[in-house]
Amino acid sequence: MTELDLTPLSPDSEPSGIRSWRNWLIGGALIAVASVLIYQALTTARVYFLNVDEAMDRRGELADDTFNLQGTVTTEPATASDGTITFTMSFGGADAEVLHVGNAPSGLFKMGEQVVAEGRWQGDEFVSDRLLVKHSEEYVEDNPSRVDYELDGSEADIGAPAFDVAGF
Amino acid sequence: MIESPNLTPSSPTPPNLSTASKATRIIGWAALAVTGLALLFGLVISGPEVNMRDSVRLLYVHVPSILTAYTCFGITLVGSVMYLRTQSQFWDLAAASAAEVGVVFLGLGLVTGALWGKPTWGTYWEWDPRLTSTAVMFIMYIGYLAIRRMEFSPEVRSRRAAVVGIISILNVIIVHYSVQWWRGLHQGQTFGLDPQIRDMQYFSWFLGTVAMALVASWLLIHRFRVSWLERQVEESQLVRALAERRREAGE
Amino acid sequence: MYWGFVAAGYLAVIGVLSGYAWWLVNRGRALSRDVPEEKRRFLD
Repeated sequence: MTELDLTPLSPDSEPSGIRSWRNWLIGGALIAVASVLIYQALTTARVYFLNVDEAMDRRGELADDTFNLQGTVTTEPATASDGTITFTMSFGGADAEVLHVGNAPSGLFKMGEQVVAEGRWQGDEFVSDRLLVKHSEEYVEDNPSRVDYELDGSEADIGAPAFDVAGF
Repeated sequence: MIESPNLTPSSPTPPNLSTASKATRIIGWAALAVTGLALLFGLVISGPEVNMRDSVRLLYVHVPSILTAYTCFGITLVGSVMYLRTQSQFWDLAAASAAEVGVVFLGLGLVTGALWGKPTWGTYWEWDPRLTSTAVMFIMYIGYLAIRRMEFSPEVRSRRAAVVGIISILNVIIVHYSVQWWRGLHQGQTFGLDPQIRDMQYFSWFLGTVAMALVASWLLIHRFRVSWLERQVEESQLVRALAERRREAGE
Repeated sequence: MYWGFVAAGYLAVIGVLSGYAWWLVNRGRALSRDVPEEKRRFLD
């Protein structure tokens, strides 16, 4: 009986056992990652935020649960020496006093902007530890020759102060 | 790159090893020209946005990347359906090539989106419906590409990939409508039938879209040809291996 | 303002796409050596 030739057919091919084992490992890792993502989607993104009026109505039920609160900043935000920010958030005719104690918000954070704050009710106050600016889908070019220009009937740029144009 | 010299005396001209053709050269030059214009308009001629300032310029590559990825995944869907109907190698390879090109563009869409999100929202990533569903879509199509590398027989592999290629299109629909179906941080549609952007900024986005479409076409054709060559090499190895086994068995 | 983010994004796009194109062209050339000319008739 002749001895079996065990050398691979081509020098660069790996034994197929190792390759299929590695492929199943990659497949398993992908399924694991996808499961985590779907779990995240079902838990955190199911109701991504509550508007201020809804969160006020459900204050008792929410107790000290953490959730995202959405509304428009309707007072000039005041930053204390320790970095905490206080402002009013409004939506649907309801106003909430917000005390933000977390991250420094983006440069777009100012009065009039829509924001999403993650936090919980503490008494009459909403204490936030993560504050994000929710940008709308409308984009307006900052163009000196077009300050009188209307977008969708809004008066966004009419009478824009001169420094807005000259400043950039 | 230095090519190894062809010293065979019987071939006076070196063999053409390129996967390029007249069509891809035209597409390639057009892609470079439009990309140049898109960069000029996107970075120089168009102005900043009143709130976002210059970060708005990221949207001229972010949105076209995602749109290109959607289109590629649409081609994967068509290729997968056609493969299951006809068992044609052309459709199988077209589906596979489009999925890979789509994953590249989707990855770029995620990166440019994160870079826009930091200065605008204040975070690179947020588990809102649009971002989460996009991440799931990215993983699904990487899974599709992983199936194509598994050690099944070519027919089994192509069939399983085709099924995943068809199912995965649901992700594209979910991602696209996520901003309408659920509340999230991500803004709604800007670049639709009723665009919420005007003039130079709109034109810059348009140029970015055309540039990406041309680049994607070039990549797709070349990817298809490389896939086709891979299939030829794989088949010739299979034939050689079978001949080897037969010879061994005969001894 | 925010030019750092813009530069990072545009460089990522240009870098990844040109790297992918370069890889495809070279992979095509390498594979073509192992495939007889008559089987490379997809070229117009």
